[in-house]
Amino acid sequence: MTGADAILAALRDMLAGITGRAELAAAPPDTALLGPDGAGLDSLTGTLLLTEVQHRFGVDVAAEDLSLDSLASLGTLAGFIAAHAPR
Amino acid sequence: MIKCVVWDIDNTLLTGTYLESGEQLPAPDAGLVEVARELDQRGIVHALASKNPPEAADYVARVTQLPFAAAECGWGRKSEAVRRIIDDLAIGADTVAFVDDDLMERAEVAAGLPEVLVLSPEDAAEAPQWPEFRPAVLTDEGRRRGQLYAQRRLRQEEARAFGGSRDNFLRYAGTRVQISPATAADLPRLHELSVRTHQFTTAAGPASEADLAGWLDSGRYRLLTARLSDRFGDDGLVGGVLADTGESAVRAGVEAGEAGAAAGEAGSWTVPLLVMSCRAMGRGVLDALLAALCQQAAAAGATELRVLCRVTERNVPLRLALAAAGLRASQASQAPPVGEPVVFARSLSGALPALPDWAELTAARGAATSGGRS
Repeated sequence: MTGADAILAALRDMLAGITGRAELAAAPPDTALLGPDGAGLDSLTGTLLLTEVQHRFGVDVAAEDLSLDSLASLGTLAGFIAAHAPR
Repeated sequence: MIKCVVWDIDNTLLTGTYLESGEQLPAPDAGLVEVARELDQRGIVHALASKNPPEAADYVARVTQLPFAAAECGWGRKSEAVRRIIDDLAIGADTVAFVDDDLMERAEVAAGLPEVLVLSPEDAAEAPQWPEFRPAVLTDEGRRRGQLYAQRRLRQEEARAFGGSRDNFLRYAGTRVQISPATAADLPRLHELSVRTHQFTTAAGPASEADLAGWLDSGRYRLLTARLSDRFGDDGLVGGVLADTGESAVRAGVEAGEAGAAAGEAGSWTVPLLVMSCRAMGRGVLDALLAALCQQAAAAGATELRVLCRVTERNVPLRLALAAAGLRASQASQAPPVGEPVVFARSLSGALPALPDWAELTAARGAATSGGRS
């Protein structure tokens, strides 16, 4: 169950839960994760998301991606997880 | 250094058992409450971990008149309760002491959280004399720390009930971030921040007051502070950033009559130090500091902002703030040699990160009076 669609769906649920914004449960893949446009994650909510990602998928994004470029959008994060998930 | 003491309730802070005391609830242990009050004055915060209903924590807070930063009441393992408090306060396990009269509970916490300092009530009575409980620096923010964490707990309870986005909650709470140039009076607090924070610092170690004073007076460096307040309370000075403007050659050049000497170096501002109190997490302070710095650097003609950041397991939140402000690691995405900082950089042409609408940049403090503290 680490297909790209399943990862995307799980990330949407995490985002909606962490930010308290229900509409993110239907966010398109090109939704920006950081900054004021898009999901608007900050250091607190971003850390919560990365912690949940590590717990759920076994991928330590912060350790493997110094710049956190993988957080550019919902889709890029899903792709990063799919590529790094332990098989 | 101990930052937080987690107390058991029954036969520890209370002279009896909350649930077994019938109509006459047990009195607080006057000696330990006095110890806790002394530690509170030193900026060490308190929390509760108890196998009791939540009302027991309210009762203890009322009869002891102590501010508690967190309370975990329930029937699970104490080590898990202490772990939740550590996560909630965003502090290291090695900065926490746990006090319980029950030997089994002490053993369970010691086994589950080996970094935590585990004490009996008798040990705790002597703790104020131990070096771990004597902070080297004590500022106004430090003395009020217990109260500030208690305010933070109220704020978080309201934020959970609020339901809207974070930004809407920050506006609703009347959040105000004030960015201003540091003055000499700010240096002890900036030094304290650099000593205490591990999650929100770019540097490997603390900056001394002498170092900070040198930068403040140099003319070459900009040192900005962030103050934070809302209707729950005034957190005072919670963050700072130091930028090397690379203009050292300007003054020397002017004195020597070689004004053009520095022209080639004005290209980038470099940040060797960015710190924030973990208490301020999630309230837009780092975003405001980085946005203010980008604006100032661009206004001074710089074309690039560089932040030197040591990458550790613990400063992920800081790296998220750097990424949110558009800063990217310039090396390939792999860790540099141990101890070497990674350069995070962004261009200053085009759109700059915006200051959150609850933040303001002031030329000098003193112009703004409310929320200011000496």
